[in-house]
Amino acid sequence: MNCTSYSRSLLISLIFLGILFLTGCWSSNEIDKLSVYVGVALDTGKVTDIENKLEEQGGRYPKKDLMTSTIQILTPQAAGAANKGGQSKQKPYANISETGDSLFEMIREVSLRTDKPLIGHHLKVVVIGDDLARNNNIEHLLDFFFRDNDIRPSCLVFMSSGRAIETLKSKSPDDVPAFKIAGIADNQYRISKILPPMSLGKLKGEMQSGSSFLLQNVISANGEMKFAGAAVIQGKTKKLLGFLDEQQLNGVIWLTGKGKGGLVKSFDEMMGRLITYEIKSMKSTIHAYVDGNDISFRAVIKSEGRLIENWTAKGAPSKNKFLRRAEKAFEQEVEQMIDEVLKKTQKDMGVDVLGFGNRLRIEHPNTWEKVKRDWDKTFREATVKLEVKLSIEDYGAIIDSSIAAD
Amino acid sequence: MWKSIVAYIPDWKVFALSLIAAIIPYAIYKTFDWIRTADKMKSGESMDSNQTTQAQDPNEWFTGDFAKDLEAVRHEMARHSDVYFREFQIGGIGLKAAIVFVEGLSDKNLIDKHIMKSLMSDYEECPKDRHRTNGNLSKEYILNKVLSIRKVDEARRIKEMTPKVLTGSTALMIEGLQDIFLLETSNGKSRNIEEPISEGLIRGPRAGFNENLCDNTALLRRDGENPSLSLIKFQVGKREKRDLVIAYMEDIAETKLVEEVKRRIRKIDIDSVPESGYVEQFIEDNYLSLFPQVQNTERPDRVIGALMEGRVAILLDGTPFVLIVPVTFSMLLQTPEDYYERWIPGTLFRLLRYFAVFVSFLAPALYISFISFHPGLIPTKLAISIIGTRGIVPFPAIIEALILEISIEILREAGLRLPKPVGPAMGIVGGLIIGEAAVQAGIVSQILVIVIAVTAISSFSIPHYSLGLTFRILRFIGMFCAAVFGLYGVILFFLLLCSHLVKLKSFGLPYASPAVPYRLSDWKDFMIRMPLLMMKRRPKMMHTRNPIRKG
Repeated sequence: MNCTSYSRSLLISLIFLGILFLTGCWSSNEIDKLSVYVGVALDTGKVTDIENKLEEQGGRYPKKDLMTSTIQILTPQAAGAANKGGQSKQKPYANISETGDSLFEMIREVSLRTDKPLIGHHLKVVVIGDDLARNNNIEHLLDFFFRDNDIRPSCLVFMSSGRAIETLKSKSPDDVPAFKIAGIADNQYRISKILPPMSLGKLKGEMQSGSSFLLQNVISANGEMKFAGAAVIQGKTKKLLGFLDEQQLNGVIWLTGKGKGGLVKSFDEMMGRLITYEIKSMKSTIHAYVDGNDISFRAVIKSEGRLIENWTAKGAPSKNKFLRRAEKAFEQEVEQMIDEVLKKTQKDMGVDVLGFGNRLRIEHPNTWEKVKRDWDKTFREATVKLEVKLSIEDYGAIIDSSIAAD
Repeated sequence: MWKSIVAYIPDWKVFALSLIAAIIPYAIYKTFDWIRTADKMKSGESMDSNQTTQAQDPNEWFTGDFAKDLEAVRHEMARHSDVYFREFQIGGIGLKAAIVFVEGLSDKNLIDKHIMKSLMSDYEECPKDRHRTNGNLSKEYILNKVLSIRKVDEARRIKEMTPKVLTGSTALMIEGLQDIFLLETSNGKSRNIEEPISEGLIRGPRAGFNENLCDNTALLRRDGENPSLSLIKFQVGKREKRDLVIAYMEDIAETKLVEEVKRRIRKIDIDSVPESGYVEQFIEDNYLSLFPQVQNTERPDRVIGALMEGRVAILLDGTPFVLIVPVTFSMLLQTPEDYYERWIPGTLFRLLRYFAVFVSFLAPALYISFISFHPGLIPTKLAISIIGTRGIVPFPAIIEALILEISIEILREAGLRLPKPVGPAMGIVGGLIIGEAAVQAGIVSQILVIVIAVTAISSFSIPHYSLGLTFRILRFIGMFCAAVFGLYGVILFFLLLCSHLVKLKSFGLPYASPAVPYRLSDWKDFMIRMPLLMMKRRPKMMHTRNPIRKG
């Protein structure tokens, strides 16, 4: 009894252990046997030198050279070596370009070229080039990113008015351009020329709603990048329509009230000297009014901030008077910016990227039902009234003679 | 209609899978059940065989003939070289007498100054004849007038006498008396009351139990005037008998619980019980469980605290470790200091300990599953540095972690064995030099060294050593689960553990209480410790006879 019971329990535990260990490391994939890609740039097809040479040797498969996707892979071994103090000037990333028509096929083709297959979990930015976006539906271009389970919906989408591949190159050996782009998008609290970042998840919503929208534009020159204005995507065709410059983007931010910080630069009208306003808060309320067939909007923009730079010398008549005058100057500046962007988008391009349609939908759903089919066209005719109110709450601790005088 | 219903009926594979999913847990349950019943049957058999007791030997009765009895005793004690015989004559009467004692166990002073002296020199002629029968002294006279000894027993048989003498009593044989006296002179050396090593506190009494049962019960008694503290004596061990005392509060502890403890202690059937760990293993509910179901402690304040909650303490002679039953999981993560310090730090330290438990048995498992299964769950920057440091490591994560974990375990074990002065030196060699060299040589990655170090530190913060052992074992099981199934395996392992904990009982008290079964009023003293002001009642789960603690 004794002996058999122990031997049998031993046998059973052996079977359990056996079953456990027979499975091995089921579907495990060590992280160091993978490569992480953090950025993708999409451009019109332009076969690279290496690809040309490889194809000459016979490395080809049936495809149309519709677009070139550049995949930014991290090479942390190099980064790790650099951290240890070795002055290796090796870049911490590598860009691999593939030309073809299916994005998924191109990414899998990379597995033929590196020993470490790609994983998409850490994809941070997708940059689409000007040419590609003008001629192709963005929804189709990004379809793979929407469908892939590995890729997070928090991945950000940008547009480049040059070739997108350039934005994934950097001069300095310490920077990973993809991280840099994603990082600059966080600087909204410093300057009001950055759109709220457009993630894949948000973009999916824009695609569904069919409205026109803006994407942040990234440009690059000599390995230095800059956020410069925004790209306008038409809701119907989902193609690139044109670009807004920095000042116009600033107007967009003011009109939508999405800014978290930044500045307004103006000149004092009496002395013609520079004054600058730092934005502390910004709020915009847009109301829609329907009068028969006429649709009009009224935007009230309020902001609080401080006087951060003042070049006017002595002789400002009185503190309050001067501040009111400065506020006035700033308000005019803002109005001018908004007017300009309205002129560009509403009149020239004929698209609503500023969210007026949404207000109309909320406030006048019945009217919206009637006009939504051809909203961009209807919007062209709508009038927009502006009311800008900036107030200077603070002018710093410097005893400014012009202000302290009175 | 029918077709659309049929379309929703799953494939036979689904049924087969669900059948397997049902059979496997049932099979596990049955197996363990079967192992347990097999063991019970075995122990039942052995119980039966032990029923026969030795027959009495009539020759062992004392005859009353001094010379003959002494010879018999000498013969009996011939095997014990440390037993001494001292023959002498009583005072003026000239009666022969002898004392038998064990050198070292008996109190030399007592024998010399009180027994010998009172019998030999100070003995006065009996004033009255009624004390003398046939020229001999009466038993009563010696007991009442001569022996100035606190505790005197009588023995009529050698069998009765031998064990007493061998535990330090002195046997006194007097010519003409059939019985012999057993004088309590035992004077075993015992340690002073010192601070317990295994359960140090910053704030709290410095006293710890020692190896002497009398000292230990005295410590409990001395804690405060409390007539309801009951100390019930048992003897355990068949060949080597030891005293065992169960302590409880008469008017607090549930009668059923006390009876259950007594029942289980009576059932202990073994040659000798060297340590209270033996008792623990004989009375615990589930010997297949990894979790300790009896708490051991060296601290009297902890015992008193438990008694006041209606628990029962078991003290065994010869060990400073006192057992407390029943025990819950949360109890093992508490220290008396939680109560001595104010409630906010007490609460925070408790939460910290729960966190440390979590880290100590899941951190390596999580590391493995993140590294080898879910690279997407690591923050990007961290993933980069992990890839960077792991780049040259040739092993998969599980082997890497096992190498380091096992060396840490060996290091710990070695640290215990080594003499005190060498210990720290070895810690430095093992921990620092080998760790650093292993990273340099690319056998393990730096991140893993951090993970393992944090794990080890966390496991040291578990206040109960036995529970720490449990989690050390569970850590390895968790690591294998992680290596096989990734995070999914870790979750399965955790669920299995939870279901085991919920099912486990200690003396009828669910181990996971008060979480399961859910008793909100007991949560005042669970993960957080409420102010003493609010803890007006004893724990409800103990079903105490007197539930009110305060107010």
